[in-house]
Amino acid sequence: MSGDVRDGLLVVRCQLGEREAFRELVGVWHAPLRRYLQGMAGSPHLADDLAQEVWIAVVRGLPRLRQPERFTPWLFTIARRTVTDHLRQAYRAPATPLEEAAAVVAEGDELSGVLTTMQIEAGLSELPPPEREVLILFHLEDLPLAACAEVLGVAPGTVKSRLHRARRMLRTILAERGYEA
Amino acid sequence: MSEQKPTAQGDVPEQLERALAAEVSLRSRMRHVAVGLAGGGGAALVAVLWATEPDPLPARTQLAFAGLIVIGLAWTGFAGWVLSRRRPLFARDRVLGARLALGATAVTAVAGTVLAAVRGTAADVLATAVGGVVLTAAAVLVLVRARSRRRELLRLRDALRRGAS
Repeated sequence: MSGDVRDGLLVVRCQLGEREAFRELVGVWHAPLRRYLQGMAGSPHLADDLAQEVWIAVVRGLPRLRQPERFTPWLFTIARRTVTDHLRQAYRAPATPLEEAAAVVAEGDELSGVLTTMQIEAGLSELPPPEREVLILFHLEDLPLAACAEVLGVAPGTVKSRLHRARRMLRTILAERGYEA
Repeated sequence: MSEQKPTAQGDVPEQLERALAAEVSLRSRMRHVAVGLAGGGGAALVAVLWATEPDPLPARTQLAFAGLIVIGLAWTGFAGWVLSRRRPLFARDRVLGARLALGATAVTAVAGTVLAAVRGTAADVLATAVGGVVLTAAAVLVLVRARSRRRELLRLRDALRRGAS
């Protein structure tokens, strides 16, 4: 069964009120959600607290979710809002001009093929929140570009731009640590 | 980009499971449905009692009746807030809640009309009966919509299951 169909089925069963489906849905998505939250929040304890907050918000919002197949971006949108509330003081996302995004689309990205999950995780903590977030969503959570854009509330071109900047920053960090590819 | 492959794992903390079990509890939802219906029904019956009183009521009694109506409506409002924000009803709960609402509304309507017939004028009876019919019709509509939504989700669930197999 593909992930989308499985998630859609689970969401519909939850919306029907099948209590067992909630356990299954949480079982499937808790680890990716917690990984995202820990990547953003830094602390495992804070990630656990935030995860609980996110799941409660998900349960409360699930009856109103009209597109079950959009569960993944919806889940991460809630997670992002939750973590952003906690990081608001530190979170200062610079606006990215669309022209820059367009330029990046045309430009090849020499890092996209060489980054591994371990390398990304190794350098994540030193990245600013916006760059860290886009790397987690795109590389660690494997969300499609459109879903990343939906979660982040920006245009796909901006996601590409932010990804490009994040990779460059990550490369610098990894190079300093001797990970140079 | 690789395919999204989150896997079911036994790594959901027990505390989270407990919190979610409480969050999706059917009993909690139905308790709030009952509280809301009891508040609304009680307020309606006190209002009929007050409206059909033949003699002017003492000020303290009027105050007491008004207080009871406000309390009943406050419980209904509170239950409505909980059921829309904190414990929203899932499709099956919605059908169950709508059945309870229909039963409670019908009982309140009949009781109110009987009360008006015993104590009030023909106009009181008519007004109470019309009000009861309108509220009962609204409850029927809520039940119809709840059942329709549930059928729609059941169809979707079956289609997804067929697509998955």
